Amino acid sequence: MPEVMSIVNTLDERQPYIAQKQVTGKQVPLACDNNSIAGAMSQRACVYSGARVVLNPVTDAVHLVHGPIGCASYTWDIRGALSSGAETYRTSFTTDMKELDVVFGGEKKLTNAIDEIIELYQPPVMFVYSTCIVGIIGDDMQAVCKAATMKHNIPVIPVQSEGFKGNKKDGYKAACSALKTLIGTKEPEITSEYRINLLGDFNVAGDVWLIKPLFERTGIQVMVSMTGDSTADAISQIHGAHLNLVQCSGSMTYLAKWMQEEYNIPFIKISFFGMEDLSIALRQTADFFGSEEMKQIAEDIIREESARIMPEITRIRERLCGKKAAIYMGGAAKALTLIKGFRELGMEVVIIGTQTGKRADYEQISYSVKDGTVIVDDANPLELAELLVKKEADLMVAGVKERFIAYKLGIAFCDFNHDRTVEFEGYDGFVNFAREIDASINSPVWKAVRQKMKEDDSTHDTVVVEPVHGSCELEVPV
Amino acid sequence: MTERNFVTVNPCVMCQPMGSVLAFKGVENSMVLMHGSQGCSTYMRLHLAHHFREPVDIASSSLSERGAVYGGSENLKKGLKNVIDRYHPSVIGVATTCMAETIGDDVPNIINEFKEEAGIGDNDVLIIPVSTPSYNESHVSGYIKAVDAIVRHITPQRAENTPNGKVNIIPTENLSPADIREIKQITSDISGPYILLPDISDTFDAPMRDDLPKIAPGGTSITDIADMKNSNASIGMGLISHNPAVEYLAETHGVPGLNVPLPIGLKNTDTFFETLTQISGCQIPEKYLNERGRLLDTMVDVHKYLYGVRMAIYGDPDKVAGLVSLLLELGMHPVLVVSGSKSHGFRDYINANLKDAGPDCETTILDGVDFDTFNDAVRDTRPDILIGDSNGKYISKAESIPLVRVGLPIHDRVGAQRLLMVGYRGAMELIDRITNTILEAQEECEKPVQMSA
Repeated sequence: MPEVMSIVNTLDERQPYIAQKQVTGKQVPLACDNNSIAGAMSQRACVYSGARVVLNPVTDAVHLVHGPIGCASYTWDIRGALSSGAETYRTSFTTDMKELDVVFGGEKKLTNAIDEIIELYQPPVMFVYSTCIVGIIGDDMQAVCKAATMKHNIPVIPVQSEGFKGNKKDGYKAACSALKTLIGTKEPEITSEYRINLLGDFNVAGDVWLIKPLFERTGIQVMVSMTGDSTADAISQIHGAHLNLVQCSGSMTYLAKWMQEEYNIPFIKISFFGMEDLSIALRQTADFFGSEEMKQIAEDIIREESARIMPEITRIRERLCGKKAAIYMGGAAKALTLIKGFRELGMEVVIIGTQTGKRADYEQISYSVKDGTVIVDDANPLELAELLVKKEADLMVAGVKERFIAYKLGIAFCDFNHDRTVEFEGYDGFVNFAREIDASINSPVWKAVRQKMKEDDSTHDTVVVEPVHGSCELEVPV
Repeated sequence: MTERNFVTVNPCVMCQPMGSVLAFKGVENSMVLMHGSQGCSTYMRLHLAHHFREPVDIASSSLSERGAVYGGSENLKKGLKNVIDRYHPSVIGVATTCMAETIGDDVPNIINEFKEEAGIGDNDVLIIPVSTPSYNESHVSGYIKAVDAIVRHITPQRAENTPNGKVNIIPTENLSPADIREIKQITSDISGPYILLPDISDTFDAPMRDDLPKIAPGGTSITDIADMKNSNASIGMGLISHNPAVEYLAETHGVPGLNVPLPIGLKNTDTFFETLTQISGCQIPEKYLNERGRLLDTMVDVHKYLYGVRMAIYGDPDKVAGLVSLLLELGMHPVLVVSGSKSHGFRDYINANLKDAGPDCETTILDGVDFDTFNDAVRDTRPDILIGDSNGKYISKAESIPLVRVGLPIHDRVGAQRLLMVGYRGAMELIDRITNTILEAQEECEKPVQMSA
């Protein structure tokens, strides 16, 4: 391994996961896509969590967690995905395994729980998630689910998501495998000669509702947004589409590839966030179908919508220009599109990392960021805290666990994960995003926070010495 | 009520290891390491960050398939080493998860091996194992077990046996940082020096500083914990939850133990004050006599709004018991009383309370149930107000019944860390919130307020 200059003070074993473009001699982290190091305080969750975040937004499904109480307790309705119909997915079902189930096996309890749920709630589909303990004691979930499917005549689909069998991205795959069971089980209802699926949009805060109308205006039938605001019925028909648009590529590429092989449906990777990526998504889709009329409508949409939001974006851009952003995301797709989004707001990215990025993702990220940007895989709180200060970030965009690291350092924060309550996708979503970044960075609370309190009496072991912040003065737009 | 025998729908408890986190986070310069797969620690961090709005670091031994087959020793040792290297803690709590328990790791033995191999002594870092498989009991027992393990592990660390003239206070899992601060203030004002364990008042409600400490300052120091054996007495809070740490201090070190209800409401707070004055022989300062007087004044001000109002109370057993006591003092009708965790003695305790107060209502008591069962009971009993954690919001919305938020988790409102329910001041705050919720609900219904105060 080449000599690595330390960018941040961390465990030796963690150093290969951190790179600084054009500074340390490596463009991308030398290591990624591995299991987390014990005691390194990874921000990742487990296989089960990966499966759960992908599948949970299927609105009319019962999501049954076969495991002890905690796995269900901490994942109850935390996804932020909205529904236009059923709310079943927001209910937390679990077999609540006890010691006796662990000793004598949980298959019987699982069978009984499935029977009971179907009797009480009559769902059109049930996903049954396995957890660590199920993998250890060896319950045959496949057999139980198969028997239940036969007995009740609804799909009872096992999700092989034993927490310890890999990491979060293995859970994505488990979720895709479960979805495969449903796809193609119903004759598609066709309303247009142009049909697409939106894969990897979870309708957090209602994102999808800003995207679907754009495509529908061009004459396209959106068969499903998956899994955000999707139903068992819709998913069973999506083999009727001509094209898959894949947004969250980390979680859905596996499924898209499968659909390409199985149904001959091609896919393209797109993003619905930011003006540039939105335009690309609309244009590429219209190009795919080749209809001149559709292409014209797509251009009309891009022109009209951009013109509509531009005054507000320009106003906010002036307030944000030159500010430095740090990005730490679950998947690489969102990290990549955020780089462009920040550029559209006149901001630069100084730190970028993901929980589940692969080598190719990091190469693409490295290509998209400026020299000097720190690129990190599977970061932990101490690394993030030190980097935020060292790189003088003005804002971090990430999820809940990272929020309070930024806050305690006096750095602005934006949740682009499950917790946000406004849409960030689409044209209005980008305005929402810009406004939130403005509110986050330009709030007067940071001035109060940065004013030194009394003499610091701390003698404790701290992350870094002195927080350094860029000036809050406006800079000339680039 | 619909019978549910096999499926749990919308859990009203958390798992055992979570309870241990709440305890260890109240020890100074401590870290917790979950011996299990990566998800357990991350989910708990997420859950607690939502509630306390603080960074919450919980390490994991990140067990993988290899660990499942060959045992978790290698991962646990590596995890401990990395946590020590990066965080320099004085104490590491090692809590087991269901996975670690089921693969049969002998955690105390692995820790001993680790200490020997790494040349680490108790003076460097104290590593305290606690067995908390998630398939047993709940966060309530996890907290109790961890507190017990902390006391048993640390008290022998101090050789000296000089009486310190202090009083030990051991609270329960469901108190906020504000509650702990209030208990500390009261204890200090009445009986002087004290040792409160676990003290989350700073660690889960940290001020902004000029830097970000790796481990939030605050918590009970090792020196203090070791000194608990030399105290005059121990006060264990909560009468429903068993308090083995208090028993241990009594049996092993001869420190008399007194268990009191959580000081929620007038009577329970009086009991706490009386216990403190008994132990210390001191008088209650005028400040608190005035507070008590203000509480009485508050109770009189609101009594017409609250008399006969039907309440459903849910959550952890001792908190629920305290709230029931407060509500009965106001003439409210607890028509539904629910403990999420199965608790021996809960039903009897509540029934005894009801018998004393004799409210003119029927009370349904449920023990160890989920929110779905609770929801059925809400439909049957038709309370006017729900009081409990944020997870009751679904029932609140579905049944159009206002919810007063207390407990953990509160992730959909700000200020969970500052919610005060103990002491005379806590009672006043709760009464104000409950009353105002009722008044707002009446206004929303566009019904004129019937009663005048």
